[in-house]
Amino acid sequence: MISLQRVSKTYKNGVVALDDVSIEIEKGEFVFLVGPSGSGKSSSLRLLLREEDPTAGEVYVAGKNLSKLSSWSGVPKLRRNLGTVFQDFKLLQDKTVFENVAFALEVIGKTKHVIDQRVPEILEYVGLGEKLNNYPDELSGGEQQRVSIARACVNRPLVLLADEPTGNLDPNTSVDIMRLLDKVNKIGTTVVMATHDQAIVDAMRKRVIELDKGKLVRDQSRGVYS
Amino acid sequence: MRRNGTVAFGAVSTAFIALFLFGLALLIRREIALVIEGITGNVQVAVYLSDTAAEQPDTITGLQTMLEELPAVDTATYENKEATCARAKEVFAANPTIIENVPCSAYPTSLRVTLTDTSQYEQITAALACEPDDEGKMACAEPGVLEVRDFRDVLDRLSAITTALSYGLFALAVVMLVSAVVLVANTLRMGMFARRKEISIMRLVGATNWRIRVPFLIEGGVEALFGAGLAIVALFLGKVFLVDQLAGKLVWLPLVRNSDVLAVIPWIVIAAVGVAAIAGTVGMRRFLDV
Repeated sequence: MISLQRVSKTYKNGVVALDDVSIEIEKGEFVFLVGPSGSGKSSSLRLLLREEDPTAGEVYVAGKNLSKLSSWSGVPKLRRNLGTVFQDFKLLQDKTVFENVAFALEVIGKTKHVIDQRVPEILEYVGLGEKLNNYPDELSGGEQQRVSIARACVNRPLVLLADEPTGNLDPNTSVDIMRLLDKVNKIGTTVVMATHDQAIVDAMRKRVIELDKGKLVRDQSRGVYS
Repeated sequence: MRRNGTVAFGAVSTAFIALFLFGLALLIRREIALVIEGITGNVQVAVYLSDTAAEQPDTITGLQTMLEELPAVDTATYENKEATCARAKEVFAANPTIIENVPCSAYPTSLRVTLTDTSQYEQITAALACEPDDEGKMACAEPGVLEVRDFRDVLDRLSAITTALSYGLFALAVVMLVSAVVLVANTLRMGMFARRKEISIMRLVGATNWRIRVPFLIEGGVEALFGAGLAIVALFLGKVFLVDQLAGKLVWLPLVRNSDVLAVIPWIVIAAVGVAAIAGTVGMRRFLDV
C-alpha cells in the first residue's frame, strides 16, 4: 500500500529530514511512526501526501509513483484516498460538526444526496450521532478529534495518516481515540500514526517504525516505544 | 468580498477609473476621426467641380484621367452630389440642423485625390492651372474646375493631435489598468488569506486546483466587471450631458454618437476580463501551488 524506496529529504536550509529511508507498509496494517521531534516523522507524512517531493528516492502510495502525479488531477486523486488527522484537529469554527464533515465531500464534488447519507452515518460511527448541529467550540478535545477522524474517513480512504492525533488530549481521551483508530483499522483502512506518546504505543502492541535524525533505526512488528 | 469591503471598493473604483479612461481614449480617437472625415473626407486633396461640369460625364472622366496620369497621384475618385450628401449625413448625424438646412443639391461635386507623394502637391495645381485668388483659395483655369483644396496640412496636424492625445490617454489607461490588476489581485490574496484554513483543508481532502480557485476567480471577475459597468454608465452620462449639450452650439463639429459609445462597450468588457484574468493568475500563483 505504501512504499518508500531509499528516500532522502533535505530542505533548502540544509536540514536533513530523511536520510536514505526505505519502508514497506501492507494494506490493512497499523503502523506507529515514532522518534523525537525533528526525527523526520512529519516529513514522512508530508511526502506521502505529496505536499513535498523527496530529494532522492521514490514514494509509492496505492501503486502510484507520487513523483509522476500531475498537480491538476493526480495529486487531488491521491489525497482523496488518504484521510488525514492532526494534533490541532483543523476544524472550521464557523461550521457545525455536520458541515465540517460535509465540507470534505462538497469540495470534491459529491452530491447532496451522498452527503446526506454518508455524513450522519460516519458521525454515528465515531460516536457523535447526537452532536451533528453543535459547533466545534461546544465540544471537548476528544470529541473534536472524533469529528476530524470522521472527516478523514467519510470518503472511505485507503490510508489514514495521523500526525500526533493524541498530542492535545488527556490520557483517558487518548485511549478512546486509539480505540476509534483501531476500529477504523479493523474495517480495512491502513493506519499510519506519527506519535511520541509512549504509553499508547506500548499499550497497542502494533508495528513500530522508529526514526532518529532522519534515519530508520528500528522496524519492529508488535513493538514498544523504545 | 463581504469580508474586505474597503479593499474590494478600492479594486472596483480603480477598475472603474481605468476602464473609463480606456473607453474615453477610444471615444476621443473616434471623435478626431470624425472631425478629419468631416473636414477632409479622408483625402489629401479635393478638386471641386463646377455644376456645369458635373452634368458632363466626358469632362469628369477627362479630368480624372488627367489627374491619375500625374506621377504624384495615387487615386482620383469622382464623388457626385448624392454621395457627398450621404457622407455629410453620416458625419453630422449628431447635428440634425446641418442636415436639415442643406439640401442635397447644394453640395458640391468633386474629384477626391489621394497622393503617393504628398510633397508633390504642386503637380496638381500646375496641371489644372490654378492660382491663389484674393481670398486665398486656389482658383483654377482648367474648364470645369472651381477650386482645389489642399488638406495635407489639416490632415497632418489633426493626425498629430490624434496620435498625441490617444497615446497619452492610452498610457494613462494602461497605468490605471495595471493598478486595477494589482488591487484586484490584492483583494483575492486577502480573501485567500482570510480563508487559508478552508483552503488547506480543501487541499488535504483532495479538492482540485480549479475547485479551490474558481470562487476567487469569480470574485475578481465580478469586481472588474462591476468597474466596467460603472465605466460604461459614466461614458454614457458624459455623452448625454456634455457632448449632447455641445451639439446645439457647435453645429459645424461632427460629434460622437450613442452608437460610437456602444461600439466601445465590447472593448471595455474585454479589458475588464483581461484585468480579472491577469489578477487571478498573479494573485493566486504563490498561494495555490499544490
